[in-house]
Amino acid sequence: MNYNPVNALLIFFGLVLIGYLLFRPKSGWFWIIKNNLKSNEKIIIEDVLKQLYHNENSGKEMNLHDLSNSLKFSDGTIVDVVKKMAIIDLITFNGDIIQLTSSGRDYALRIVRVHRLWEKYLAEKTGFDKTEWHDRAEKMEHKLSHEETDRLASHLGNPKYDPHGDPIPTKLGKVASLEGEFLSSLKVGTIGRIIHIEDEPDVIYKQILAEKIHIGSQIRVIENNKERVVFYAEGQEFILAPIVAANITIALLEKEESLEENMARLSSLKDNEEAEIIGISKESRGDGRRRLLDLGFVKGAKISIDLKSPLGNPIAYLIKGTSIALRKDQASKILIKKGVKHGK
Amino acid sequence: MENKVNSACETCPQYNAKGLKKLGVHTGNFDYVVALAGNPNTGKSTVFNALTGLRQHTGNWPGKTVVRAEGAFEYDNSKFKLVDLPGTYSLLSTSQDEEVARDFILFGKPDVTIIVVDASRLERNLNLVLQILEITDKAVLCLNLMDEAKRNNVKIDERTLARDLGIPVVPTSARFNKGIPELIQTVNEVASGKIICKPHRIKNVPKKIEDAVAKLSAEIKKQFPTIPNSRWIAFRLLEGDARIIKALKTGEFV
Amino acid sequence: MKKDEIEKLITLSSDLRWKIGDEFHDSLAEGIYADASEISNASVSRANEKKKFRLDSKIDSIVTSKTWGFPIMFLILALILWITIVGANYPSAMLSNLLLDNVHPFLKEVAANIGMPWWLDGFLIDGVYLAVAWVVAVMLPPMAIFFPLFTLLEDFGYLPRVAFNMDYLFKKSGAHGKQALTMSMGFGCNAAGVVATRIIDSPRERLIAIITNNFSLCNGRWPTQILIATIFIGAVVPSSFSAVASMSAVIGIAILGIFFMFLTSWALTKTVLKGEVSTFNLELPPYRPPRVLKTIYTSLIDRTLIVLWRAIVFAAPAGAVIWLISNIYIGNESIAAWTINFLDGFGFLLGLNGVILLAYIVAIPANEIVIPTILMLTVLVTGVTGGEGAGVMFELDSVNATGDLLRAGGWTLLTAVNLMLFSLLHNPCSTTIYTIYKETNSLKWTTVATILPIIMGFIVTFLVAQIWRLF
Repeated sequence: MNYNPVNALLIFFGLVLIGYLLFRPKSGWFWIIKNNLKSNEKIIIEDVLKQLYHNENSGKEMNLHDLSNSLKFSDGTIVDVVKKMAIIDLITFNGDIIQLTSSGRDYALRIVRVHRLWEKYLAEKTGFDKTEWHDRAEKMEHKLSHEETDRLASHLGNPKYDPHGDPIPTKLGKVASLEGEFLSSLKVGTIGRIIHIEDEPDVIYKQILAEKIHIGSQIRVIENNKERVVFYAEGQEFILAPIVAANITIALLEKEESLEENMARLSSLKDNEEAEIIGISKESRGDGRRRLLDLGFVKGAKISIDLKSPLGNPIAYLIKGTSIALRKDQASKILIKKGVKHGK
Repeated sequence: MENKVNSACETCPQYNAKGLKKLGVHTGNFDYVVALAGNPNTGKSTVFNALTGLRQHTGNWPGKTVVRAEGAFEYDNSKFKLVDLPGTYSLLSTSQDEEVARDFILFGKPDVTIIVVDASRLERNLNLVLQILEITDKAVLCLNLMDEAKRNNVKIDERTLARDLGIPVVPTSARFNKGIPELIQTVNEVASGKIICKPHRIKNVPKKIEDAVAKLSAEIKKQFPTIPNSRWIAFRLLEGDARIIKALKTGEFV
Repeated sequence: MKKDEIEKLITLSSDLRWKIGDEFHDSLAEGIYADASEISNASVSRANEKKKFRLDSKIDSIVTSKTWGFPIMFLILALILWITIVGANYPSAMLSNLLLDNVHPFLKEVAANIGMPWWLDGFLIDGVYLAVAWVVAVMLPPMAIFFPLFTLLEDFGYLPRVAFNMDYLFKKSGAHGKQALTMSMGFGCNAAGVVATRIIDSPRERLIAIITNNFSLCNGRWPTQILIATIFIGAVVPSSFSAVASMSAVIGIAILGIFFMFLTSWALTKTVLKGEVSTFNLELPPYRPPRVLKTIYTSLIDRTLIVLWRAIVFAAPAGAVIWLISNIYIGNESIAAWTINFLDGFGFLLGLNGVILLAYIVAIPANEIVIPTILMLTVLVTGVTGGEGAGVMFELDSVNATGDLLRAGGWTLLTAVNLMLFSLLHNPCSTTIYTIYKETNSLKWTTVATILPIIMGFIVTFLVAQIWRLF
């Protein structure tokens, strides 16, 4: 046998490299080929419909050029598909502007419904990270049939909103509208509640996540100018670039609706401080949230720190007579009111 | 050492000639089924061992018993089969332990459910107790770890507690076999119908939800006139519990 | 029937659900706790508002402190392992003296007296009996020491504090702090470690703990590591350092196992397991004085005997297979010799040899019989004098003699190092595989848990062998 360790190593690393190129996440050749094989007409039609729907909703008009710029299919394919869609009465041309017909709009709403329901499903019933919801829902929206969608909806309790705060169209195609204003447009001193966090584009969404801004939080705007938007929420100050703040929608609250000025996150509780739980943030979902409630992290419960682990995380809290350890990210999703004395 | 019942009161009826006989794992031919439920860390398995004379392992760990353990004892000429359920904080979530415990109380229809609670942490433990009392009418509260409670200077007025919960309350220290004879006697009385329970039903539910529950519960009663826990099933339906929906369809409640 | 009515009922419930909205579970949970507060306030009175029982908080402040938390933990683990390994030596020697040196010859004699045919005698006594006896002798004493000690700590309430201390490290690789405990339990026996993962109630973290438990070097593998390290690693340093060198090599392997455990946990979280639900909560229960005798009794019944029984069930057929492959001939070579020749090429690539690979294949049921099988097969293929005959496992009394035999079988330092690595990184024993299947109820996860470590073992030993040969 003509054996040489160098050859053996070369062959080995060659195989590893090929394996990597084929199967690396997202851009592996295997996945690309698999996706291209599946990119059939149905998917392109549905993507075009969705694109038109979102643009019409935000009052933008689209021509063929805009459309092919915003989708990652070749121009030729899109032209073919658009022609076909006009024939089967999903779209009409108004000059060179493309518009949805009413049946096209219904179709688009169904796609949006599946997408948002699936995001809700991922948030409530699985452990996938937030950053993955969108891409997974993008794939799933082309797959589910009507019956499957309805079953999914009833399994989830026919939710009204997806985890980002977007309304989910009903079976009959009704959509609640999102009544609110962009954070970037609010005057200093405005009080409101975060009702929507846009998950596209990815770069900006990741910045919002990194700031640990939670949907459902009450906020007060402290500063708003060209450089930055500063707001106060849950005992902390958050600083965002205006372009990032534009992706957060706020429902305005009347002053009387009393912003809890001494509301804070449990993660900010210090040794020897005592507090009362106000509630659990909407960011805590699914089984994790239920478990917290079962363990007694409910409105009105008194809480204080019992023990800190040697590395500072997790921290054990004394609640209803028992010591229960929580990780920091869990504690940041529990809202408290500080300065409450223990006792009867 | 496990087999000797502590002689807290030699004249009690449970010490008469036909008194207690621990039967270990011999669970055949029983007259009553008794379920043993409770939070983790309440000494539930110790109570189980004290009742049956078995030596199931009892770790100082939340969630020790995942599979149900079974044992038996005989008292007053009646044979009792005792089923030890997994320790859970609640029956509202969907973890495997909770499903095992919940399914047994709901579908196994035990004649009596002993709910073991830690006397020093009563409020926390009541969360589970109140849920169980929505499911079953026949229950006994075993106020365990009384020795620890005493050390922690916790005093409990058992009569008020029994009145508020609507079920008999028996203080015990199962580690030292204290209160076990009284527990057995009470279980027997509930099983044989000498004591009728009027369990507490959850009150502090927001109006909007209570209305929905009442409406749904009435409909359930119409379909299944015999079931005692229509309100709890309504709770579960509103939660969208797939297991309960399936049970309705297959008629497991009848 | 009233099927329609039930459908109506379900429709009504989903309509109502839609009307109530998201906050149903929250409101109900809050409502129940509000009732609980009222009831407990009416009947409970506290003499004074002490936060916790004084002794409890004193112990807690030490065992979770920045300075003492970790040292205490490692000290306790090291102490338990030390007591187990050292303490098991004597009963193990006694058992093997009894079962292997006395009962085995006695059985052979009885068989000869009643005129049992040689093949039946070999199959039953040299094959099945010997394997079972070996497993009992090597496995029972350490488990009978390790599990009760561990259970005492558990009953006392110390283990949740360990999980609390370690959680931050485990969280980094996507795992749960309680995995520190299932891992430690794995140092005793992987099957028991897998069962112990029941304490982890989050689905994703529990699967991680199950799949990576095999990276804890179990009782069945410690003796192999120690023997090989003593023979080969101890020999390359001056004799005054040999004990230290071989001991450090063994500890190094155990630490490498911990490293692979973290690495694999992390990789699993990022790939196949990322969709599984993940939650965290950890109750720190009050300390309770353990009842020593009772604990020893129950942990013997609950853990040791059950695991031992499973191991015996699996070891018996393995013994039969070992005897059969060495005694059934195809042409003029036994099946074992054929297989070894066939595996030699691949074994060489991994820096091992055909004998070792075959031994690991037939010894899947129990790591305890790997070394005796290797010795028997080495004698079989090299034709060196010694041993007990084809298909009869044996061990030599002297470490030196074992070393000489292995060197005669062509072993080098590389073979030894790679055997130690391979002993750490290979499929779990069949008892553990079966337990994993019982616990997960999933063929998929059982397969992952079985295949993953062996692939890692192949890669690691392959790379080590090639790089070794470069120099």
